[in-house]
Amino acid sequence: MHEMSLAQGMIAQVLALAQQHQAERVTSITVLLGPFSGVVAESFAFGFETLKKEEPSLAETILLLERPNPCYRCLECGAETSLPKASPLQHALRAQVEGDSTAERCPGCASTLLSPLGGTELILQQIRME
Amino acid sequence: MCDTCGCRHNEGAGHEEPAKVGKVVDVHENLLAANNEQAASNRRHIEKMGAVAINLISSPGSGKTSLLEQTIERLKDRLSIGVIEGDLETERDAERIRKKGVPAVQLTTGGGCHLDAPMVHGGLHVLEHMGKGKKFDLIFIENVGNLVCPAAFDLGEHQRVVLLSVPEGSDKPAKYPATFRSADLVLLTKTDLLPYFDFQVDEASAAIRLLKPGMPILPLAAEKREGMDAWIGYLCSILPR
Repeated sequence: MHEMSLAQGMIAQVLALAQQHQAERVTSITVLLGPFSGVVAESFAFGFETLKKEEPSLAETILLLERPNPCYRCLECGAETSLPKASPLQHALRAQVEGDSTAERCPGCASTLLSPLGGTELILQQIRME
Repeated sequence: MCDTCGCRHNEGAGHEEPAKVGKVVDVHENLLAANNEQAASNRRHIEKMGAVAINLISSPGSGKTSLLEQTIERLKDRLSIGVIEGDLETERDAERIRKKGVPAVQLTTGGGCHLDAPMVHGGLHVLEHMGKGKKFDLIFIENVGNLVCPAAFDLGEHQRVVLLSVPEGSDKPAKYPATFRSADLVLLTKTDLLPYFDFQVDEASAAIRLLKPGMPILPLAAEKREGMDAWIGYLCSILPR
């Protein structure tokens, strides 16, 4: 998508908070990437690693990404479940081995009528600074 | 470093634990907070103008502007309509809409791949000015043709409509899930071309409903004026009472 500009926006938010708290450097940033946010975690991390070089206070900053599993409500049996999302590599391997069967199924009743619950969040959770 | 290909895939972000020293600041703020706040304000602005707004999203060339031309043709005597057009360059789409006798604002992003809420905010003010203070019933925001990025940006719309045209192929919902999942309604457009393309309506519908069960899907061919009644019915159903 536009992971680089998202990383840029986040850096601006972080620098403003660091200044507000009179911190000299930021040691870590925790971000939650929802499974349906459309943001590619690897590209976002790459964008951050590239851009942080321009900011002395971010030179040593570690980016921690929280990536919760997608949650669904089954429209057949009503169960709410959290199913792990395959990485692009796992996905490719699974498609090779099992054919192109990518539909998630309810672990209770095997229905594919799964309605996503949230998951579009992109949240700057926590900053550690000194 | 990876021994097979020499990449640096396993270095850097997320692999070290930071030292638990220093000050911890809990933020819990959305990375798109600035856009989302503006979008909420746009929504109030649109409601003050008397209207509901629809964000039209699709790939380039799927028939968003043609759909608007035919929709305006059908509704302009009954409803007050305004249009905000998003493109990288040119006034062409806004000119097409103005020829139908409806105020249209062209937003050119100059390279940006989507509209965002601050751009639409500016567009709403221009539209109000063009409308000379009269109330609107329906405001269409035609996004930049792109099935990826517009999904993440709330513009302040009340309904999001995603178009999928027959020549694009029925595999697109599965390939671009975030956009289709974010829709309130999907329009299958250019259905008059079904005999000439290998487009499986069942496959497309199943893929869309796998992403979001119960999604309403309306087939239509705007330029042939087929299937327009259901679309017009939907528009009338979302109007403020």
